[in-house]
Amino acid sequence: MLWRHRHLFANLYRREIRNRYVGSASGMFWALLHPLLLLGVYTFIFTLVFRPPELTGKHYLLFVAIGLWPWLAFQESLLRGTVAIQGYAGLIKKVAFPHELVIYSTVAATFTLHLAGYLLVLAVLWAVGQPLTATGLPLALGVWALLFLASSGLALFFSTIQVFLKDTEHILSPVMQILLYLAPILYPLTLVPPDLRVWVAANPFSYLVGRLREALEGGQALPVSADAWALLGTVVVLLAGRAFFLRMSPYFEDFV
Amino acid sequence: MEPLLSLDHIGKDYPRLKNAGSQLRNFLALLRGQGVADFYRALDDVTVNLRRGESLGIIGENGAGKSTLLKIIAGVIKPSRGSNVVRGRVSALLELGSGFHPEYTGLENIDLAAALLGLSADDLRDKREEIVAFADIGEHINQPIKHYSSGMVVRLGFAVATAVEPEILITDEVLAVGDESFQKKCIRWIEAFLADGGTLLLCSHSMYHIQKLCQQALWLHHGRQHMLGSSAEVTQEYLAYHEKKELAAKAEAATRPAQARAPQGAYSIVEFRVEDDGGTPLDSATYRGSFRATGTAYSDDGREPVVVVGLVRADGTPVYGVLSEMDGYRPIRIDAQHFRFAIRFHDLLTLPGKYAVRAHAMDPEALRLFDTWEIELAVVGDSREVGLCHLPHSWLES
Repeated sequence: MLWRHRHLFANLYRREIRNRYVGSASGMFWALLHPLLLLGVYTFIFTLVFRPPELTGKHYLLFVAIGLWPWLAFQESLLRGTVAIQGYAGLIKKVAFPHELVIYSTVAATFTLHLAGYLLVLAVLWAVGQPLTATGLPLALGVWALLFLASSGLALFFSTIQVFLKDTEHILSPVMQILLYLAPILYPLTLVPPDLRVWVAANPFSYLVGRLREALEGGQALPVSADAWALLGTVVVLLAGRAFFLRMSPYFEDFV
Repeated sequence: MEPLLSLDHIGKDYPRLKNAGSQLRNFLALLRGQGVADFYRALDDVTVNLRRGESLGIIGENGAGKSTLLKIIAGVIKPSRGSNVVRGRVSALLELGSGFHPEYTGLENIDLAAALLGLSADDLRDKREEIVAFADIGEHINQPIKHYSSGMVVRLGFAVATAVEPEILITDEVLAVGDESFQKKCIRWIEAFLADGGTLLLCSHSMYHIQKLCQQALWLHHGRQHMLGSSAEVTQEYLAYHEKKELAAKAEAATRPAQARAPQGAYSIVEFRVEDDGGTPLDSATYRGSFRATGTAYSDDGREPVVVVGLVRADGTPVYGVLSEMDGYRPIRIDAQHFRFAIRFHDLLTLPGKYAVRAHAMDPEALRLFDTWEIELAVVGDSREVGLCHLPHSWLES
């Protein structure tokens, strides 16, 4: 059904990518520079200001880099996806096409840019001698694929809510900011007090960055049973988000 | 033959959007599969069947639901009630340039617009030149759309829509934009499209285009199907309706002032009443009965004006009128500039119906008409005669 519309998806996807820099020369540049600046600031705070003893002797820059780009891809695709239906209101009111394509193209474009930045930064870190191995790369890409599917499912869900409740985007933005600090992206799980650790570990992002670090730093190349559960959870999120979206999308035109 | 398009009692409700609380209620109601509580009916109970090659013009005033109907047929929205079945490839131009991004060039915009209409990349490769040629906007094709005139956007939009080779073409007021030569080009294309068995759904305020391009016409009025039939018949009715409406608006403006008003122009009527013999104002008179029309005329230069009093039908058709000087009647001078007049109509021969009594002021030479005052008057009574007025007659025995 969606396969029939692959040309439309390709067009929307290309447009989403171009929209990031068309009209502003620095758009593409910022797509890479913004995460780099964040990386620099976090490294400054945690290795020069706080200096927790647990981090001494570790490659903190690499540690954060591995988790930061997936997080930004997730956060940005969710925030952009949430307002995507509104952004395409002009088309939705005038042209008949599957509305979900708008979400997929927005999420896919965001992931494309951040994955490209990720690979570039990892290559640079590897080139300067940081302990990275290529053997875990396919597994890491598999984890990215899971993240992409889960982000799409959530974006489908939140974009639907946003059509009806315009506050959604304003609530989501600070929530995402808070979630960043609740996930072991900027700090290792071992730094969390033991009785709170189980809560932080329950965050899906703990699994996600943990697997990325095992793959890229540890060189792990083979899936484990947790990956199967993650896949199952991802598929559930995607299908539930899509079902919700498709149930409500016939009414979008009335409300956007 | 199976109809290409069948709309069966379709209707569309739109929610009234108010505060966040009602948004939440709407959302929950829709999620539970109920309709929203607070809505207005944009469209109701429309039933249309079109066979291949038949074309339908959709007419009606602004807000009558024309665009909503086209959106339903195009598949942009789902009807709230009824069923719609469309069997054919639809190309809809609901708004020219929808899907165009102002920052991109015309050529770049063709890609997405074509993809939205269902054209694949391969199809488009073959069609792109055709589209560019049809749009015929020269070098502008490589310029961002934001620098285009609205006419050029229309050209490009129509060019893309034609490339899809639709079975059903839906256009909403497309022909209203664009210069005349492009309009002619569009009409030529549509005529060829129709000759090849295409089906057109055209929404337009131009009765000329509707009559020229469509066999059938649908007149929507306040979201309802007011009339469906041959385009000649429906457009004529529609035009008649508008004429009547315009006249009603004019008549209302003329009758609105109270029984006196300030002089307008060199000669005018400043007071006018329709009354019975006892002086009571009337809004109806009896067939074969009587009424009086009385008033005051104003003369700027103090010379005695000529007064015209007459009867017109509600649609403005004059029934009878008479000038005071024809009957040798002279309005009675009240002061230097004002003259009273009164006329009695007896044995009123106009058949029961809606009329208006008119008074005009003319110059003393009865050459120029200066002012009009109109008062509605219904003629009531029992009569099975037909026509406008009674003509005295007798049936002959031999």
